[in-house]
Amino acid sequence: MTSSPNDLSAIRSSFINSLQAGEKFLAIELARTLLNRDQGLRQVTFISRQLEKSPRTKLALRPLKVALLSSFSVEFLRDALAVYSFLSGIDLHLYLPGFGQFQQEIRNPASGLYAFSPDVVILAVEGQDWVPEIYQEFLDKVPEGFDKALARFQEELQSLVQIFRANCKATLLVNNFVPPTWKKLGILDNQSSTGQAQLVHRVNESLASSCQQHPGLFIVDYAGLVHRHGALRWYDDRMNLYARAPIALDMLPWLSREYTKFFRGLTGQTKKCLVLDLDNTLWGGVLGEEGLTGIQLGPVYPGNAYLAFQNAILDLHKRGILLAVASKNNLADVEEVFAHHDKMLLKREHFASVHIDWGLKSDSLLKIASELNIGLEHMVLVDDNPAECEEVARRLPMVTTIALPAQPEKFVPELLQDGWFDGLAFSSEDRRRGELYHQRDEAESLRNSSGSLEEFYRNLEMQVTFASVTKASLSRSAQLTQKTNQFNVTTLRYSEAELAERMQHPNWVLTAAAVRDRFGDNGIVGFSMAQFCADTLEIDTFLLSCRVIGRGIESAMLAHLCNQAIQRGARLIRGRVIPTPKNVPARDLFERHGFTKVSEAVGGATFWALELQLNMVPMPTWMKVHSDVEVAAEL
Amino acid sequence: MEEQVRQVMGDVLNLDPGSIDGSTSKDSTASWDSLSHINLIVALEQEFQVSFDVSEIESMLGYSDILETLERKIHA
Repeated sequence: MTSSPNDLSAIRSSFINSLQAGEKFLAIELARTLLNRDQGLRQVTFISRQLEKSPRTKLALRPLKVALLSSFSVEFLRDALAVYSFLSGIDLHLYLPGFGQFQQEIRNPASGLYAFSPDVVILAVEGQDWVPEIYQEFLDKVPEGFDKALARFQEELQSLVQIFRANCKATLLVNNFVPPTWKKLGILDNQSSTGQAQLVHRVNESLASSCQQHPGLFIVDYAGLVHRHGALRWYDDRMNLYARAPIALDMLPWLSREYTKFFRGLTGQTKKCLVLDLDNTLWGGVLGEEGLTGIQLGPVYPGNAYLAFQNAILDLHKRGILLAVASKNNLADVEEVFAHHDKMLLKREHFASVHIDWGLKSDSLLKIASELNIGLEHMVLVDDNPAECEEVARRLPMVTTIALPAQPEKFVPELLQDGWFDGLAFSSEDRRRGELYHQRDEAESLRNSSGSLEEFYRNLEMQVTFASVTKASLSRSAQLTQKTNQFNVTTLRYSEAELAERMQHPNWVLTAAAVRDRFGDNGIVGFSMAQFCADTLEIDTFLLSCRVIGRGIESAMLAHLCNQAIQRGARLIRGRVIPTPKNVPARDLFERHGFTKVSEAVGGATFWALELQLNMVPMPTWMKVHSDVEVAAEL
Repeated sequence: MEEQVRQVMGDVLNLDPGSIDGSTSKDSTASWDSLSHINLIVALEQEFQVSFDVSEIESMLGYSDILETLERKIHA
């Protein structure tokens, strides 16, 4: 180990102090430091014990109720899962029934699982415990028997998911199956379509397709995870036989890290922006010293390692992640690289924001966050210099900092292994986000050149389309409820399954608002959910993507809701504002549109109402509005 | 090595390392159950870079047994 015991002991003390003081981000940062040096059992149990003793409410962690159903003993996963959830600001409440009970827990409506009322249910079943016909019983089955086995599995899966959904709206995460470490036919196995490898592949395919049929069901690529680490390393036969713990205990942090990627996606913590240093990060060497021709970037090592890193970053851009640069350099030198270095894969236009100056890196990050209008907690900084990472971590502990290892060939795994940018929905909006920010820059410069605000709005030539949420827009709508923090009056998070349930209900109205303007198509950027109760339309959720705040789209959305209310004969439309540290832009929504404040609750929530016979929210005149919504006629 | 073992036991079993001595055993310690025993074994393996076989796992039920087994292992 490279750290001295005193060093580690000092960090541990600071960690304990920060927990007791309720300094959440600092505690998380210190825990990450400890685990980066050593993610062994000792460290994980130490952190877990400290978390148990810590003042949970003071830390303001996000609670998450997770049920873990498995076919083997996962009790050992408890500490690692709690610790890695904590690193994502989550206070994990875990329900772990006895192993081998997963079918009973799901099929019995009176089971502990449903009484627990989980947010997330994980089904961690090893292949041999669910489809023994293709594992331990493989040589006893004739080839024709496999189709039956696969069919049996599919039916069982369907019925399990249906029963689950009938009782629970939680997100369901299902591990897929790992091919057996030792094939019973040896090298003959892969030569036929009924070898074990092929059969496991088919079972996994049917698992993947069931994702598409069931909202709120996600497959955890357990097979991929084991593949990355190697089955011989992943499984511990000794502990499996001795303690029914098949997974090597030192692999459990990796399993926990995989699950926390999902927890982050589900709690709106997916990172949105990657901020990069330049020297010894995007290329080898220091630009200011080596000059344009001296930096290492090209077909020969280490230049090709930096190219591979740039490639991985470019892939993130194509997925809709925003890229930014924060580097201490001379602007002219950097511009020369972008303009003239023919090996650069990343071009100037791939970056939504570039800050080249000699000031503090944390200042650059603050400017980037403000420019791009995203929270610091949605940013990742990647830098080869651990001192820079520490400067940022101390001042802006909510930013995730990745200090790169010395060898550039290790950069890609370091960037990708925790899936910071992995979200649970990938829409066409995501794919085009980089382009959209580019468009927004153009729109912003238009704003600066237009006279009045209304003139600016008109010049945007906005077209808003309202449509009832359907299966096609369900994923994006749920994503918006999970990610949107600023223009969001109630900040209620919904899973796909929860929205799908309300979609079927005649009294609930779920509306997605898509916006095009002169610069392009923004896709779905607004979402509202409201319920008809007697003669009132109650607004439960009303939100707008931060990208399109300040254009009056919310006025169109409210006007649209009023129209729907009137069509159905409602007399009142009501809304609620639950103030959070982040939703200042949304707080005066109802007040601005002529609603009357009805009451205020302890804690600051305000309740608003509009009497539709006396008042209306007029549809703004500076945009074209299309509506595909069918409103059920008054019953 | 003894100090190291006490530190590992302290972390895994939630004990004060200074209080661990020859009387500290699985039978006498509430936090030392079959689950934490497995955790302790693996933590010791990680700390000392050794691997225990099942018979050793079953015999390391107290502080003294652990020290003895490790001594043998490391100087083997």
